[in-house]
Order: sequence, then structure tokens, then C-alpha cells
Amino acid sequence: MSKTKRICSLLLITVLAFALVLSGCTPIGTGTDGGGTTQTDGGETGQTGEAPVKLTWYLVGNRQEPDTPKVLEEANSYLKDKLNVTLDLYVFGWGDDYDQKVNTALAAGEPIDIVFTANWAANYNVNAASGYFKELNAYLDKYPAIKNILGEDFLNGSAINGKNYAVPTNKEKVHNWGWLVRKDLVEKYNMDISNIKSIEAIEPLLKIIKDNEPEITPLCIATMDAPFQLLDWDRISDDDVPGALYPDNRDYTIINHFLAPESIEHYKLMRDWANKGYIHKDAATMQNQVELMKSGRYFAASQSLKPGKDAEMTAQTGIEWLQIDVTRPVMSNRETTGALLAIPAGSKNPEKAFQFIEMLYTDKYLKNLLNYGIENVHYKKISDNVIELIDPDNSGYNPGHGWKFGDQFKDYLMSNEDPQKWDKFLKFNEEGLVLNSLGFMFDKTNVETEISACKNVVQTYYKQLFTGAVEVEPTVEQFEKELKAAGVDELIAEMQRQYDDWRKSK
Amino acid sequence: MNATAEAKKTGFLKRLVSRRVGNKVSPAGNILINLVFIICSIVCIAPIILITIISFTDEKELLANGYSFFPEKFSVKAYDYVITAGDTIWRAYGVSILVTLLGTFLSLMVICFYAYPLSRSSFKYKNFFSFIAYFTMIFGGGLVPWYMVYTQLIPLKNTIWIMIVPYLMNAWYMIIMRTFFKTTVHESIIESAKIDGAGEFRTFFVIVLPLCKAGLATIGLFCTLGYWNDWWLPLVFITEHRLYNIQYLMYQTLNSIQYLASGSASFSESAKVLADLPSESARMAIAVISIGPIIFAYPFFQKYFVKGLTIGAVKG
Repeated sequence: MSKTKRICSLLLITVLAFALVLSGCTPIGTGTDGGGTTQTDGGETGQTGEAPVKLTWYLVGNRQEPDTPKVLEEANSYLKDKLNVTLDLYVFGWGDDYDQKVNTALAAGEPIDIVFTANWAANYNVNAASGYFKELNAYLDKYPAIKNILGEDFLNGSAINGKNYAVPTNKEKVHNWGWLVRKDLVEKYNMDISNIKSIEAIEPLLKIIKDNEPEITPLCIATMDAPFQLLDWDRISDDDVPGALYPDNRDYTIINHFLAPESIEHYKLMRDWANKGYIHKDAATMQNQVELMKSGRYFAASQSLKPGKDAEMTAQTGIEWLQIDVTRPVMSNRETTGALLAIPAGSKNPEKAFQFIEMLYTDKYLKNLLNYGIENVHYKKISDNVIELIDPDNSGYNPGHGWKFGDQFKDYLMSNEDPQKWDKFLKFNEEGLVLNSLGFMFDKTNVETEISACKNVVQTYYKQLFTGAVEVEPTVEQFEKELKAAGVDELIAEMQRQYDDWRKSK
Repeated sequence: MNATAEAKKTGFLKRLVSRRVGNKVSPAGNILINLVFIICSIVCIAPIILITIISFTDEKELLANGYSFFPEKFSVKAYDYVITAGDTIWRAYGVSILVTLLGTFLSLMVICFYAYPLSRSSFKYKNFFSFIAYFTMIFGGGLVPWYMVYTQLIPLKNTIWIMIVPYLMNAWYMIIMRTFFKTTVHESIIESAKIDGAGEFRTFFVIVLPLCKAGLATIGLFCTLGYWNDWWLPLVFITEHRLYNIQYLMYQTLNSIQYLASGSASFSESAKVLADLPSESARMAIAVISIGPIIFAYPFFQKYFVKGLTIGAVKG
């Protein structure tokens, strides 16, 4: 008995001691945290009545950069004179992490001032429709700089029913699709890539690789990153939901693009290529196309392009690529709601927040500070507009925020980038065809069941069809049957109805 | 004289019993049973070994050949990355250890304090408090109200406590513990303590708790695992990256990669972003490191664990 007692008390004491020792450690963490909050409280109430306003800003990214406090200090001292605000920037991970945090905080009405949102992050459409974002039209009129920089078309494209709940980043406003091919192999076999203007046209190149390079697979596919994207359907909803328009404004009829004649032709082409051995056997189960491209075992890959994409991918993968533009550039909803900043309804200082957002479009120093860090600490200038990172492998601040806010054309260029990059971007933007559906947002509420049922069916079949892993005709037949059972007709009809209503009201 | 006879007798009995037990399982059956469990063990252990090996595999080889138990080229670059990636990971490690130790201790305390009175038949409001506990098992408030309670009513957001407090009380563990108290500590023991002049607290700490070590260890292990493996609370409540715990850090990395790779984020820079995230082997290295201390909790708890589990399950 006394032995058990002794053991037990010993155990308790150990745990307690540990707890004490470790809680002794934490006050550094929790203590400063508490300090942080009292400071902000003090900031808001103010001692002299002129205390700066604190703006809380949520962004999506890889991680909170270690030197964020240093950069914010610099930004705050700069902003103090301009707007009398201080910044509190938080970066959360992609996907669930960001969505969960932001959506919960928005629903709880937390006083956040600026959040990053998009059609793929913190669900812009739903949150705007739920009234979680402030309407910005009045501010846009009062402070016209953003409107002037973005242009009416693009800004209207991100509006919902004529109301702007967020402002898009000024960057490439159009997209096109095409191929990336290995430069070394193109040179080795003297291939002519100037005439490739369609998906099929790349086949002779694939054949050369297949015949001469046993170690290299001609075509790299990973699930949705497949040549199917080169058909560039103007999708109404998510990637895996049937319903799209032709990407050339030919009509106003929404069709099931997974079973359109062009798509079925494409599946057959993929089947043919797979039979000829141009596609790797595990394409249907691969996830990360970039990682596959890095391995050096693939010749070509389908990619969403923009000027300088080949240089960008070369830098990332360590393999030299050439880009072949195939589809015509178009301006679609994908771009207009691809990267936005919104002001949540819970914000206590929406006007200051908006003024700050405006500065991201107009103030070159601030934009670059937040994007690249402090000059001579994180980067050094080579010429007026070109910089180099001081320690590229282990930089304290290199978040890659450039495209997430403000005017990207004000960003400095890296020394390894095309000095003409921004000019080419502007030209690219001008070439783009403005799609009829620009600004149309599909409201899923009436057809949620159909959507999730159709998604399930699409998820079952698309990988095999996109990668040519199965015989096309029987699979498509089965695919069609199951989609019908899942209610695809009701879904498309609902899309058409909403689209027609929207066009009439425009 | 008498004692040796007794000993002989029991020895004989033991031999008899063991022979009988031995006879029951034929050699073939024995081999079969062993085989089945060996396979089960391999199925459990192999992935962990594979993860460890991947974390030591050269990145280039991973990209070219995929995962393998016998890589051609070893590399410690992944661990190099983890160690030089700043203090983020070690800090998260510290947070995890602190939360687990403190959380388990406090949680055990709260659960016992709730369960013990319910195990006593003399407690007047037993039904009422049992009902409250059961109620929480069936009904929840939903995410947003729950979030608002911890951010506005009790402002714990961005403190170490937010990773401890929500899991302090667990109705299910409480019921196991109550059953344990009820079956292990007979009412007459408590009565005799009372007669000897012990107050309620003394009875509880000196008599009841030491008798229920198996139960404490079982629930303790559950709590330890629960706290160590938790990434949900930091996901919802922690915005200060200083307070991230190791599981959340890992969740964040893996989830980001999965999300970007799935193509759900169809924005033009997703490929670039993806390339900046930790490599395959670095991710595995983080996973290996996060297994670390918790693996030592098992042997410590194990001897009580089986006993506690059966008592809780059979008589609950």
C-alpha cells in the first residue's frame, strides 16, 4: 500500500514538476502574446487620440516568413505618416487551413480588416452572398485609383450582381493553354515547334521521343493536369462539375462538356496515344505534375501559360523548358476572381482598410516591401527595377506574395526574369478575348444534391478518360448513363436558367 | 513440512494446467496463430519503417524511382532542412510537449473529479449530473457558436490554453472512469475509511485513486494521445505561428501540398508555390520527428492499458 502510494505521489510530482518547468518556459510565448493584445487595446483606445489604427490582414501562403515582424515594423513606420495605421499580417496554409480559419472567423464576426479571397480560397462567392464582406462600391467611387488601374471590364467581372465585394489583383487578366517541352530534346532532334497550334500537332514530336529515348516518357499527365485542359472549356462551376460554354463566344447554350463531341474526340486521341506508349501507365494515379516534371523523365506537359512561363518553370524544376502556346488567350471568371482582397463585415475600420488596399495599387515602395522584404537585408538592387535575393536558399522573407494583392506590375523583377516581363503581360492582357460569361456567378443552392452526385460520377471516370487508360466508347456510354442518373440534365437546366436571367439583367 | 507439501501440490497443479493449455493449441495451430499476428505486426510497422527510410532517401532518387525499402542512395538532407528551417519546428515541438503533459494532467483531474461523485450511490444529484454528461455526447452547439464561446465569452484565442481547455472534459472517458471507480472500489472500503476518520478528499486521494491506477493509466493514455495528435484546435483557434504545435505544422504542410497538387486551386502560380514547399523526404522527416516522444508513452502505459480497457469495456 505504502509502496503504491509512494509511486503514485512520485508520478504526480514528476508530472507537476514538468508542468511547472515547462509552464515556466512558456510565459515567453504566452507572456508576449498577452503583451501584444494589451498593446493593441492601448492602441485602439489611444492616449492622445491620434493613436494608429491596427489593421488585421489574413493572407494565404506557404508559411509565416520568419522575418515578418521586421518587415512589418518597417511597413508600420512607413504607414504611420501616410495613413496612421499599423499592420498585423497573418499567413495561413493553402486549402482547408486557410478556409477553415477564415470562414469560421467571418461567421463569428471577428474584427478582421482585410482577407484574401478567391474562387478557390475562403469561398468568395458564398461569403460575399452571405453578407460577410463589405460592399466596396462607395469606396471605389470615393478613391478612384483602383478603378483606373484595373479597368471597368475586369473590375465588373469580379462583381456579384453589380456589387463589388472585393478587389482583384492587377496581374495577368487572361489565360491560355499550351505545352511545355524539354529544350534540350527539342534541340537534340531539331524539332520544329513553331507550327504547333493544336493538341494533335504535337504528336510527331512525341513519336520522335518514343522512338529514340527509351528512358523518357513523351507526355506527362497528373489527374486534372491533362491535355484535356487545352480544350479550355469555359466552366460554369468547379473543375469536376459538368456544364460549360465554348471558349469562343459562339453561343449562349450551356452543355455537358465532359460528353461534348470535342471531348469524346479528345478521349479517343488520348486512348490512341496511350496505346502508342506516349503516356505513362500510372498517369491516372499521379498527383503532382510539377514534381513529375522535376524528375526529368518526361518530355512534354500541358500547362496554363502566360508570358515567361517557360523561364519560370525552368527556374523551378532545374530543367530547361520551351513553351508552345496553343489556345487563344481569354478573360474568364477564373482570372477576375482568382486573387481578391475583401474587407470583412466585422472590420471596425473599413475606410482605413480600403485606403491601405488602395496603397497596394499605387505605392511601389510598400508593394515591394511586403513582397520582397527590406532592401539590403532581404534583397539588393541591381538596377532601378531589377533585384536579386541576398540569400535565395534560406531567405528570411520571400513569401511570393506578388500576385496576391495590389498592382503586380509595380513589383521589381528578379535578375533571372525577362526584363520585358511586364510589357509582355500588358500585351497578353490586351490580346485576350472577353468571354460572354464574364461576371456570371453560378449559385449552387438549388442543385447541391445534383452537383455532389455528378462530382462523384466525374471523379470516377475522368482520370481514365483524360489519360487514355480505358476504351473510350463503352466508358463514355457508362459515364453518360451514370451522369443522367445523377441528375446532370437538371443541373445543366438550372445553369442555363440562371445564365439567361443574368444576361437579361445585364 | 506442511508448507512443502502444499508447494508440491500447487506445483503439480500448475504443471497439470500448463500441460492442458499446451495440449489445447496444436503445433500447427500455434504456427498459424503466430503467423497471423506476425503479419498483423508487419502491416502495422512496415509503413513506419518505410516513412523512416524515405526520410533518409536522396530526393532525386525519390522523384526518379518512387518509394523503396532499399534505396540506392541515402541522404540526411531532409533532416538538415528540418534542423536549419529555423526554430519553427522545435518551438512547435515544445508546444506539443507542454500541451500534452499539462493537458493530460488537468484532464485526468477534471474527469476524476466528475466521475468519482457519480460512482458513489450516496450522491444526491447523481442523475442530474449524469444527464448533463450524456447530453453533451448527443448534442453539440455547432462550430461557430463553439468558436464564439472560446473567443468572445472566454477569450482564449491565441493562448496555450485554447489547446487544452476544450478537451479537458470528455463524457465518454468520464463514464469509463465512473464504471472503474464503481467496480474497483467497493463501497465498504470507502465506509471503512470513513470509520477510520478520513474525510472525503482524503478518501479520494489516499484510498480511491491508488486503487484505480489501471483506470487512470488508460484514460491518461487516451488523453495523452488525444492532446499529442490534435491539430484541430490550432487549426481553428491559433493564428500566431509561435503557438503552432507539431501536428498542426505537419497538417498545414501536407494539406497545402495535397490541395495545390489536386488542381482545386486553379490559379496561375500554383505550380510555383508548390515547388517552394518542403520536398517529399523533408515531409517524411517531419513525420518521423513527430512520432518521437509519443512512442515512449506506450510502454509506460501498456501494463495498465489492457487491464483498464477490459474492465471499462466489459462492465461498462
